[in-house]
Amino acid sequence: MHLRRNKSLQLASKTDKAHPVENKEKLFKEIFDTNSKKIFHLCYGYTGDEDSANDLLQETFLKVWQNLDKFRNKSLISTWIYRIAVNTCLTYLRSEKRQAKDELTDNIIENRPEEFSEKNEQVALLYKSIAKLEENDRLIITMVLDELPYHEIAEISGISEGNLRVRIHRIKSKLTELYNQHARI
Amino acid sequence: MQEFDHIQSLWQSHSVEVKISSDEMLAQSKKEVAGIRAKSRLNILGMILSFAALAALLLFAEFESWTTLAGLSIIVILVAVYTFILYNDHKLIAQNDFTEHPNAFLTKLKAYQVNKFTIYNKLYWVYMVALSIGLIFYFYEKLDHLSTVMQAVLILFTVVWMALCATVFRKAYLKGEKERIGLLIEKFERISAQFKESH
Repeated sequence: MHLRRNKSLQLASKTDKAHPVENKEKLFKEIFDTNSKKIFHLCYGYTGDEDSANDLLQETFLKVWQNLDKFRNKSLISTWIYRIAVNTCLTYLRSEKRQAKDELTDNIIENRPEEFSEKNEQVALLYKSIAKLEENDRLIITMVLDELPYHEIAEISGISEGNLRVRIHRIKSKLTELYNQHARI
Repeated sequence: MQEFDHIQSLWQSHSVEVKISSDEMLAQSKKEVAGIRAKSRLNILGMILSFAALAALLLFAEFESWTTLAGLSIIVILVAVYTFILYNDHKLIAQNDFTEHPNAFLTKLKAYQVNKFTIYNKLYWVYMVALSIGLIFYFYEKLDHLSTVMQAVLILFTVVWMALCATVFRKAYLKGEKERIGLLIEKFERISAQFKESH
């Protein structure tokens, strides 16, 4: 699928001269449809809040739209988008001076009282546990949970693969511990 | 006691919905700027309507004293000049699209903000002084036919209204605009920053 995406990018650049705007819009739509769900999940995991996740998704894809011509096919387009999303997440909450992460995650439970079930309660606990992690760790673990290959996560987060493996192991243990702690309360 | 595998399956079973399409997303991004543009257009439209009404009065009404003509002329010229200034300022944000030309638009939006503050600070006082002179000339003949009480009421109303505009309304408007445009600039700078750093 990623290979196909890169091909479509190359194809678009060849036909750019004929219908640049239409081609860009078509390509962007394809990129958005393929990647938006995963990026939204990443943002949701990071903020624990649907509105903030939507804002982050919008900012991420606005950057993608504005800089599409700067993408050079050196990496997968999904990796490039993830990298943009990670940067967007890290700068967003700081500049917006949003609520504390605990309060954000509480919103998940408060927002959906009608959907109460054991599974939803577990999901809410999971987001609450993720919110207790450090900002960078939160982003790394959401990519792990989404089963991104380690070399891609390393490229996105700018950490060497060796260091990343150690770090992921530590985050997994921490998250499991936090989840079990919350589950016991 | 749960293991990480359980956490992973829980994460993957929680499906999230992206509620907007790519087109809607781009449209939403343009909406915030469209709001500022619409407000600026309304401001200009208000000034044009005022100009038209005052110009019609100047052209079609009959005056006995030259002072009324002079007062009204000052006000008409004043409104025309400020409409032109507002239009020039509006042009800054009217021609560019942030989604297409982020850096150019950001530069223009910052210039728009600076101009807006000059208009509603320094230039506003020039406007008020000129308007007061115009009104004094205008009232010289017009109030002459009225009773002393009516004269006092009209003058008091005009003074209070102008004072309110210069203090409460002007400050509230400036505060609102500062927040609105400031937030937008902050957001656009944040969006542009990542690619400025890497290029």
